[in-house]
Amino acid sequence: MPASTDTSDSLQAYTGVFRGRAWTFGDWISGDDGIVKFSELRDFAADQDPARLAEMCFADLHPGFHRQVAKGDIVVGGRRFGVPSHPPVPLAIKACGIAAVVVESTDTGFVRKSLNVGLPVLGCPGITGVVETGHDIEVDLRAGTVTNHTTGQTIRTQGFSERMLAVLAAGGLVPYLERQVGLRPKETT
Amino acid sequence: MGQTIAEKIIARAAGVEAVRPGEYVTVSPDYTVIQELYFVRNLKTMARLGIDRLAHPDKVVAVVDHTSQAAVGSGYQELHTYARQFAERTGFKNFFGPGSGLRHLVMVEKGFARPGTLIFSDEGNIASIGAVNALNIPISWEVLVTMIGDENWVRVPASVRIEVLGDRLPPGVWVRDLVQAINRDFGTGDDLVQKCVEFTGPGLAALSLDSRQGLLAGMYHAGADTAIMEADELALSYVAERAAGRPYQPVAADPDATYDLHVSYDLTTLTPFVTAPPTHDNVVPVAEVAGTRVDQATIGSCASNRFDDLQAAAEVLRGRQVSPHVTMYISPGSAEVYARAAREGLLEIFAEAGAAVQSPGCNTCWGYLGQLTDGQTSISTHQEHYPGRNGSRQAQIYLANPYVVAASAVTGKITDPRELW
Repeated sequence: MPASTDTSDSLQAYTGVFRGRAWTFGDWISGDDGIVKFSELRDFAADQDPARLAEMCFADLHPGFHRQVAKGDIVVGGRRFGVPSHPPVPLAIKACGIAAVVVESTDTGFVRKSLNVGLPVLGCPGITGVVETGHDIEVDLRAGTVTNHTTGQTIRTQGFSERMLAVLAAGGLVPYLERQVGLRPKETT
Repeated sequence: MGQTIAEKIIARAAGVEAVRPGEYVTVSPDYTVIQELYFVRNLKTMARLGIDRLAHPDKVVAVVDHTSQAAVGSGYQELHTYARQFAERTGFKNFFGPGSGLRHLVMVEKGFARPGTLIFSDEGNIASIGAVNALNIPISWEVLVTMIGDENWVRVPASVRIEVLGDRLPPGVWVRDLVQAINRDFGTGDDLVQKCVEFTGPGLAALSLDSRQGLLAGMYHAGADTAIMEADELALSYVAERAAGRPYQPVAADPDATYDLHVSYDLTTLTPFVTAPPTHDNVVPVAEVAGTRVDQATIGSCASNRFDDLQAAAEVLRGRQVSPHVTMYISPGSAEVYARAAREGLLEIFAEAGAAVQSPGCNTCWGYLGQLTDGQTSISTHQEHYPGRNGSRQAQIYLANPYVVAASAVTGKITDPRELW
């Protein structure tokens, strides 16, 4: 498989910019026991039901989160957000309709697991100091900026690579690979 | 400007002279190692993509370690069968079925992990292979990419340096206590997050190759992406026996390499620690929680399931009995560890003490076997102890070294092992 960048129309058109309402969470929110409950997801041989994952998402920290959140909203997390995590964790956040996650810090595993299901997780030290729940924020993954339109502040960080953006543009790793191996992209995976 | 060990290995795998922390590069890995859950899911995804074989089967290693015994009613028997049928159909050689042990150990024992190699894995605690100067890059189920192709992206981690001082561990203290001291100091901060921990210092000579692997395996749970150290004579002679003619090139850091942090720990000043619920930094001297009644005591996990770990537990259990109200499980890390434990009499000690020895695998560490129920308390050498990790979310999990776990199994309550000597 070549290491080339996807040059399809969708990547050309892909902005990597998300604007939405912020939901803030604190430091040290575990992926496996905070975002989801690993104790209820141990059967890895089984497929996970997105509706069930959405119900589980942040259920103890913020009861009813999946009902209150609107499609396109953005989660802002604190230090070591989502650590540790198994693959259902980003699926649960995505199943709620969240478009992007911006965090003080997380591990590379969570960034990659999320990217591969089409959920961008951007590390942005200082973010929790400038965003509150309900603020209107804009995340630019390519530029590595987060702008708070409610307060007018902008904060900078390292942006995503072109390869990461190509995975997001395709909708996740499997559709990205479908293009790489030369198959016709499908609507669902 | 000098480079760290991780930077040099990544640069070599990327085919460039040098890389810098934070840089995105494309590398060709020497191996990709996968456990059965990700392996079979990815094989099924490949089938949907119309791909029926691995692009570079010699560079992929798959190990059945999470579900070493497929229990009745689980979907894992089917999963094992699917993996076996794939190996048989395609001639995939590096498939290690139930009973082989953890891929962390298999990679080193079978000579895949060698000095200077770059190895993608599903999970991060395989950083243990850094004890033979191999660099682990964890990428979760994205191992799919290198099953199909021969490259993937890496964001070069910055390195931190932990210097190990002292010529020995005090009685009752284990390398696990160094892992816990590091967790105590860095378990909630960002100093190790997304970093490679490079171990150095004269104290490493006092640690066996088993202990070094346990130390490095623990760094993922302290927040690091990976960990590594230079290969000394001990590591090089071990690798020479296992490499079977396959090439390797030891990699050392440049004297002027740059590190985000430099700290040191003295082995001789460590005492037995216990990590209490619910966070990794909740590390206390064993005396602070001594007397807590336990229902289960477990030796296992990628940090503490090698021969030396089992031997430490056996030192305490020899001639003693596990308390009547305690269930004790012991999971050897690999078939090789299991066989040596049999040859050297450890299995007899465990059996006579009333401990249950399980087949080599992850087993209890992720709650697949030995599930805890509401209100139960366990003490183990596992790596994680968040609520629900080993069964019920209403169970309490304490983490400690093998001496402490074995001593607690005998008395039925958390116990300082030095009281039994």
